[in-house]
Amino acid sequence: MLHVEGLSVRYGPVRALESVSFEARSASITTVLGANGAGKTTLLRALSGLVPSHQGTASFDGQRITGRAPEAVARLGVSHVPEGRGVIAELTVDENLRLGTFVRVRRGERRAVVDEIYERFPQLRDKRHRSASTLSGGERQMLVIGRALACRPRLLLLDEPSLGLSPIVTAQLMATLRELTTGDGLGAVLVEQNARSALSVADWAIVLNLGRVVVADRPARLAADADLRRHYLGF
Amino acid sequence: MELFVDILLSGVAQGMVFAAIALGLGLVSRATGIVNFAQGAMGMFTTFIAFSLLSHGVGYWPAFVAALALGAVLGAAVERTLIRPLQGKPALNPVIVTIGLLIVLEGVAGSIWGNVARGFPAAFSQRGLVIGRTRVAFSHFDVFLVCAVVVLVVAIVALFRWTNLGLRMRAAAFSPEVSRLLGVRVGRLFTLAWALACAAGSLAGLLVAPLSSFSPYYMDLNLVYGFTAAVLGGLLSPVGALAGGLVTGLSIAFVGGYVGPDLQPIAALALLLLVLMVRPQGLFGTSEVRRV
Repeated sequence: MLHVEGLSVRYGPVRALESVSFEARSASITTVLGANGAGKTTLLRALSGLVPSHQGTASFDGQRITGRAPEAVARLGVSHVPEGRGVIAELTVDENLRLGTFVRVRRGERRAVVDEIYERFPQLRDKRHRSASTLSGGERQMLVIGRALACRPRLLLLDEPSLGLSPIVTAQLMATLRELTTGDGLGAVLVEQNARSALSVADWAIVLNLGRVVVADRPARLAADADLRRHYLGF
Repeated sequence: MELFVDILLSGVAQGMVFAAIALGLGLVSRATGIVNFAQGAMGMFTTFIAFSLLSHGVGYWPAFVAALALGAVLGAAVERTLIRPLQGKPALNPVIVTIGLLIVLEGVAGSIWGNVARGFPAAFSQRGLVIGRTRVAFSHFDVFLVCAVVVLVVAIVALFRWTNLGLRMRAAAFSPEVSRLLGVRVGRLFTLAWALACAAGSLAGLLVAPLSSFSPYYMDLNLVYGFTAAVLGGLLSPVGALAGGLVTGLSIAFVGGYVGPDLQPIAALALLLLVLMVRPQGLFGTSEVRRV
């Protein structure tokens, strides 16, 4: 589904990503782990077109996505949920969700898609006409993920969705992700600092260090490797 | 008493013009974070084109509509060619570019139409209406002027509040990066915001031309007043622009009527300073940090 080959990104002289290759399959979660500054966020930003790539390619369902504008990548069905401040605080909850439906959902079906999101996250329905700035951290995370789903994506790129959430809410979020990616073919690339919970739901894991892929393996094997955990994953 | 009423009425009419300018400034500022110093000059230029059309025998309304449409085209063209390449550059660059555009447009207008003051026709009679037995300083044309600006403000409010396009425009202005990730073509919406803003500037130019001595510089002072109105109104909401325009129009009308017309520009600047010191977010703005 997503095929990344030799992808490099530079910020001036700084090599943020160096020849990264991996694949993400449909109906599965690929987690990208690593310390702060390892290049995880840069990887997602390069995939969605927010930063230009220096070398290498990424393609989605056979179509090259490197070199395209972010809006063009989004229109192909790649939904990037950026870290932290993805909520548009000046809009209401309902407006945030509707905004997701404009590109890939037909006019007559948009209301139904938003209602589906409310079914999944009932707290959002209760606050639908409130400004998104009034939401708690967990609710904001529901809103950005709900909005990404309202895009009817085929691949989710999630940047640290557990950031600032309590362990219980994080566990719920991971369960939701697992459920979403089983079934109708939705794939996810999950960037996480919280390696333990990411490994618990992922189907495949890669570890970045200083912009390079150092390990790519099954999550269970990564979790079992004490050295690796100590060096790169911090648990 | 009659003087008071006359000043009040002329202040309302003037204020509406400032509101239209402030609305345009606000649209551009909200979308692209830029103060368009050429807003007035662009309105001046399209009004001169209307003037040329009129002098070649074109009717008033076709010329009026043509000037509004040209304003939109000019705004879109300026955004695409001059403003878009400055994205990510220092904040001073667009300031210099729009001031440069102001000077160029005034120079070009001067060389085409001459730096002389002339008259510009009004759509309706400019003789004061008779109310009871007194003639007040408010004409049929002033009624048209007020209605035109109110229609503009209502249309912009409706666009933002009740349409999907308006929702996209708000999202693009508040959070361009997130909007792009949702597939919103942010660049096009910024072009549209510039087009709307400059059409509003053209409307202001057409409406105020019959009240002024019509030369390539007749919008300069109006831009100062419009800018005051925009800051008063908080730069964000069309209703704020309307209120800011009215307050500015009334203030300078009363200063002009009771103190002297020479002091009007100073009064506007004093009002501007006062607002910036006491309530920098404007009468209707929220207390978020200004980008410009």
